[in-house]
Amino acid sequence: MLKKLLSSESAASIIALVGVVIVFTLINNRFLTRLNIEGIIVSASISAIVGLGMTLIIAMRALDLSVGSIMGFSAISGALLLSHDVPLAFVVAVALAVGGALGFINSQLINLLRLPSFVATLATLSMILGGELLITDGATVTIRNSMYSKLVIGRLFGVVPWAAVIAAVVFAIVWIVFHWTPFGRHIAAIGGDLRAAAGAGINVKAVTMGVFTLAGVLAALAGLMVAGMLQNADSTVGVGAELTAIAVVVVGGTSLMGGRGNLIGTVCAAFLLASVKAGLNIANVSSKYEGLVFGGILIIALMADGLRRGARRKGMLVV
Amino acid sequence: MAENTLVVRRESTGVPALRATGMRKQFGGIEVLHGVDLELRPGEVHALLGENGAGKSTIINMLSGRLSSDAGRLELNGERIEFKNPLSARRAGISMIAQELEVVPTMSIVENIFLGAEPSWYGLIQWGDARRKVTSVLKELGVNAEPGRIVGSMSVADQQLVEIAKAIVGDFHVLIMDEPTSALNLQDTERLFKIVRRLKADGVAILYVSHRLWEVFDLADRVTVLRDGNLVASSLIAETDITTVIRAMLGNKSSLIANAERPRKSAADTKEKTPTLSLDSVDSGTLLRNISLSVHDGEIVGLAGVLGSGRAELCEAIYGLRPIDRGTLSLNGAPTNLNEPKASLANGVFLLPEDRKSEGVFGHLDVRENVVLGYNPATDPAAVKIASTTTNRSSWRLAGAAPIPAPAERRAFDAMRAALGIKCSGPSSNISHLSGGNQQKALFARGALSHPNVMVLSEPTRGVDIGAKEEIYSAIDSFAARGVAVIVASSEISELLRLASRIYVLRSGRIAAEVETTSTTEEQVLKLMAG
Repeated sequence: MLKKLLSSESAASIIALVGVVIVFTLINNRFLTRLNIEGIIVSASISAIVGLGMTLIIAMRALDLSVGSIMGFSAISGALLLSHDVPLAFVVAVALAVGGALGFINSQLINLLRLPSFVATLATLSMILGGELLITDGATVTIRNSMYSKLVIGRLFGVVPWAAVIAAVVFAIVWIVFHWTPFGRHIAAIGGDLRAAAGAGINVKAVTMGVFTLAGVLAALAGLMVAGMLQNADSTVGVGAELTAIAVVVVGGTSLMGGRGNLIGTVCAAFLLASVKAGLNIANVSSKYEGLVFGGILIIALMADGLRRGARRKGMLVV
Repeated sequence: MAENTLVVRRESTGVPALRATGMRKQFGGIEVLHGVDLELRPGEVHALLGENGAGKSTIINMLSGRLSSDAGRLELNGERIEFKNPLSARRAGISMIAQELEVVPTMSIVENIFLGAEPSWYGLIQWGDARRKVTSVLKELGVNAEPGRIVGSMSVADQQLVEIAKAIVGDFHVLIMDEPTSALNLQDTERLFKIVRRLKADGVAILYVSHRLWEVFDLADRVTVLRDGNLVASSLIAETDITTVIRAMLGNKSSLIANAERPRKSAADTKEKTPTLSLDSVDSGTLLRNISLSVHDGEIVGLAGVLGSGRAELCEAIYGLRPIDRGTLSLNGAPTNLNEPKASLANGVFLLPEDRKSEGVFGHLDVRENVVLGYNPATDPAAVKIASTTTNRSSWRLAGAAPIPAPAERRAFDAMRAALGIKCSGPSSNISHLSGGNQQKALFARGALSHPNVMVLSEPTRGVDIGAKEEIYSAIDSFAARGVAVIVASSEISELLRLASRIYVLRSGRIAAEVETTSTTEEQVLKLMAG
């Protein structure tokens, strides 16, 4: 069991996560308090949900820079609908649909205009952010629906934060889709070798559409959760989240070269980064240093990816 | 178990499994296939032969839905059919093993084999089923690997076997095999033959394309020969022989080759001198073994060999694109380590790459930029005089850090354009708009500007029309006349006979023979290549 775990692709991020938890606990015993752990779980769950969508995108050898702005847009649409006393279930459905629609637009820019995903989503990032400012006029929308907030920071059976439950359900769905459906395998095939994938009769445009739409829905879900946590929404929700998501995917062991996706690694890395952030906070390290630390982690992860790919090229079997 | 994996619809009728009549195809206004008929019968192996450019790939790509035909009719079991894409052909029961690998390296064997046709149940892939089928097929093909093994971590030969497994899993009754053995060793080839015979006994109609004539005579029941887009011969294997087939492939071209009228260095002239470049018992990668060859100043030697023989790989190894694992490469007698192109260029070795489009030409730049790319007037003996009178910071120029004066570039380009006869509307016309021949000349010009001592030319006239071919030949001759040692690798034997004084024939990564062009014929070289 242990041996299998160590030889798995996710081993590095699991070990790093355990190490970080131990180190911060030794530095300050307040690290393992309930409040701190819950904070880590909620913020990790949110970045894991965006990261899972991004894992599929990167497995297809694409990038989606618009997920952060989709988070903000869905958070604002949700908050505005709630302020007009629209029923919660309907609000959630509409906000997710909006996220899906924005992801669909991304895919059509890529498919019809043949834009690289990087460029297409950079453009939509800017446009969606502009849309948010037009709708809110730069103001913050306050949320006064107690049930909504409880659905994010409340606890199931008084123990497990709902955010973690939502993330677990999302993980299960994405796992099944990616590993057990033809659609999921076609994502990996396109990322691994576009020519071979097309030669096998895979409809590349349809898969692109599905992946970007799914990533949009997941980003919208994360946006709703952030709004629920903050009990308000404005255009700062999700700012920079696309970079966190990409970092989480890469630190989790998914190669930017596409073809494979490590979903467990993504979740571990989300917890890793959230723990580091909370740990630095508790250790009284100024948040000014956060960026430096995260950048360092990213570089290490990219170096590890380079080593793995180099070894694979030389014919050594490194999983 | 094995029977379950190779489900085949038995056809007992006399109707051909697949019949193509009057197939025509044009590319860019030039017809490459002039109405070819082909009939594949159930339980028969039909070999398709022809030189490069004879139209073999064109017709098999039509039969497998990869290419549409301009005219002609396809019938599947007597009924007219049209394929929109490879998948529709596969669904109709036509399986194809492509010459180039079409596997996804990041995915497992089982994922690759069922890619695009995953067995699923309510949308979920039945991995258990898939694995069982794959395990038995792999066993049969003699691939010793788990179905979950990542394909990219396997040897090229095993990847080729995965490609074959992909074609023979599932329901099909026509199998098209395009050079399936080009990456296989003898043992794997034997195993493949066994499977082909089994499929044949099961009633599959097989179209077998190969350069290896002995394979064809071992395996096939019927042979069809294409030449220049025409069907020139078709008969039962039992009623023909190798010589007849080779004659049909070559036509009367062999008599057209005028290769004796030109003065060229013979082996006797150069025997005592130190070779400009020589390889001594060189191994490289998984393919090249024990390669020894030499080329002298002003000499042109040829490299012949079928696809997969190591011809292209040897060119890359000489230029430093592939590591030399054993043995030595010497320049003018001194062992040299050319481990990267930069070192090769610094030592005066230049490679004209086989794939002009992806490895040579910068399609977004204009023709002048393509030619003077990498040109440094400070190291050009012809230009250095002018440069030194205008500036004294020549060390800057040597480092490539100073801007190259536009007049120097223009002079260099104009000289090359005139010398090689590059036809373009002007220095700033986009190179992608030039014909294949002129693009190739531009690459030659780039090489010439680096003043090489050794030129390695891989397929110098691929995709070049006949007129430009002759111009390129004379350009190569003139390089040799100026003392450059030239190595030409080509799949066209006539080209090697025209240019070279000696030909090394490669087979399965080894040098199978070295022949003098004055005392050999195209037929003999072809026989040596086929083994």
